[in-house]
Amino acid sequence: MRTSNTLAIMQSVATLSLMLSLSFAYLINPLEESLFFNALDSFSNSLYNSNVINELNTSIIAGILIGLFLGTTNILLSSSKKVYDYVFIAIISFFILIFFGYVFGADWIPYEPLQQLLFWVFIGLPVSTGMVGIWQDKIGNQVISAFLILAMPLGLSGNTNDHIYPILGFVFSYMLFLELSYGHARYSRLARVMAYSKEYEAVLVWFLTMLMVTLAFTMILTSLAFLFHDMLGSLLPYSFSNSIEYNTIYGQALSVLVFFMLWSVIQILFSRGYLARQVED
Amino acid sequence: MWTRKAIIYVGLGVILVLFAPFINNLQLFLLGTTILAFVAVHSLVNTRPIEVKITRSFNDDQVFENSSVSIDLVVQNKGRSVGFLEIYDNLPSEVEVQSGLNHSVIRLRKNETVINQYLLDCRLRGQFRLGNPRLRIYNPSFLFYYESEIESKSSLVVLPQIEEIEGVDLATDFPKMYQGAMPIRRIGTSGEFYGIREYFPGDDFKNINWRVFGRTRKLMVNQFEREDISDIMIVLDAREITGTGTILRNPLNYSCKAAASLVNFFLRTRNRVGLITYGESVNVISPDTGERHLYKILTALAEVKAKGSLGLHTILGDLRNFTPRSPVMVISTLENDKTSATALREITARGFKLTVIAPDTLDYDRDSRIISPTVYFTASASLDNKITEARSLGARAMRWNPDSVLSTSLAEVIR
Repeated sequence: MRTSNTLAIMQSVATLSLMLSLSFAYLINPLEESLFFNALDSFSNSLYNSNVINELNTSIIAGILIGLFLGTTNILLSSSKKVYDYVFIAIISFFILIFFGYVFGADWIPYEPLQQLLFWVFIGLPVSTGMVGIWQDKIGNQVISAFLILAMPLGLSGNTNDHIYPILGFVFSYMLFLELSYGHARYSRLARVMAYSKEYEAVLVWFLTMLMVTLAFTMILTSLAFLFHDMLGSLLPYSFSNSIEYNTIYGQALSVLVFFMLWSVIQILFSRGYLARQVED
Repeated sequence: MWTRKAIIYVGLGVILVLFAPFINNLQLFLLGTTILAFVAVHSLVNTRPIEVKITRSFNDDQVFENSSVSIDLVVQNKGRSVGFLEIYDNLPSEVEVQSGLNHSVIRLRKNETVINQYLLDCRLRGQFRLGNPRLRIYNPSFLFYYESEIESKSSLVVLPQIEEIEGVDLATDFPKMYQGAMPIRRIGTSGEFYGIREYFPGDDFKNINWRVFGRTRKLMVNQFEREDISDIMIVLDAREITGTGTILRNPLNYSCKAAASLVNFFLRTRNRVGLITYGESVNVISPDTGERHLYKILTALAEVKAKGSLGLHTILGDLRNFTPRSPVMVISTLENDKTSATALREITARGFKLTVIAPDTLDYDRDSRIISPTVYFTASASLDNKITEARSLGARAMRWNPDSVLSTSLAEVIR
């Protein structure tokens, strides 16, 4: 397979992972409980003196698709700076129109569908931002997108083991998005330097293989870190292991940190240190 | 070494693991744990010591200015398989990579040998040092990296470009009859036949051509080629001022090119050639012959750097032992050298056959705005004065435009 094809596949899979992780995030944390959208609701309430957001459709799929559309448009338009600027001004004007249409009660402006559209844009914001990051190798956009995926759906009600499968799906797709998007940014830069050579292709294939293998091992290690909590419980004094604090998520968090602390100590002790040596014949 | 990404991952993982319990969020907690586990797993991938041997070889031992040299960087893996190995061959700034890359990323399997070949464009003479190749290993997700240098230094000597000189009689008027004499196309007393002429009283009878006499009834004598060799001393100005201009186009570079061409020409015609350079110090290579001597001089010319401000008079002492009445060729702009007039007078007074070649880069310097038109005018007039002064002393002096062929310019001044 040609290097450029492999890199394009990386981008496609990263985009898919991005959309999946956002879907899983809203599956785990319902949009109605999201702190971000609650804040948005309060803001629009005070601005319009009306419960605007509650009247709108909260379809996540529609939001993601809008995000996909906006992201793609952004990427395509960015090839021409002039066109990009004009479209950007048009979009801003469009949203200003909604606001003034509503405030002045201008019936000729269909502000309700426009408000719906704006709401979906908000839902799909991580996707549109992330897509620019993935397809234009902008690390900043990737970071913003990753942050928005975590922050926007966040609610106060929390989630438990009932959502374990969506959570695992989220974690896997989120990690895949991070790794593939960042990996693409780094490897595509190297590909340009290396002029897409055969040697470089071998390195890229090695990266992808290792990513899959390490992700699998990561899942195993995560399970071990969780099991470590139980093992630690059997080692600790009865009064400690049976305490309320230890048996809640706080105790689990501390066990996980102890696990990784032990891991790093063992690694430091057994590490031989790195030194590239020149070998004599 | 940890990369910034690894530090961010660990920081994010710890924050998520500690923060998630406060909002009772298993999703963030699990994500934090996974991120930490991901870093932990990656700390084991492609991070063990590697054992590699790197050697560098050139396709040609002698590299001349404005030519290319192919470099093979042979990377031998003697240890474990390496997934991501970045190799950067440390090159001096004076050479340019013409094709191929001195920077590569490879996957190196166990006991595998990879040859990275690239072509260097050597546009500047000099002795350059190719430093140790640098290695960098990344683990697949760019979380950890390790850098080191492999001991593999090489030196690359780029000799000055040689221009073929033909059809210019630069030999001495005062030949000496030493061992290893060479024929020159002049009338002399060797065994090689040159021509016949009429007999004049006093001519040796044994040179009379009796066969021609029998045919023409006129006394004619045979003429033979004269055999001689010359000791030629080339004096090269390497003062700091000769480095004025660009790194490629400056009087010193052109002087070296001219000196190399002349040395090659004289040695090819079996003369004995010596070299004196002055600038920071005076360095002398005594006259000698042969190909080995040619490369000795070329290597010395490759190493010459524009330094110091010693005047031309400093070489007079070294000329004292030089074969009298032999040709001395001074390659210098004579710029900012107050001793030049006295020194040139002294050289001619001792009877040396003096030739002055002044490489002139003033036009280029003015066109490239290295010097202002006023400076150009002053410097040009000063150079003209120096040339005229040298000519008045009986020297053959010329302003040499380096864009023109040296032998053509020489022919004009020597005719």
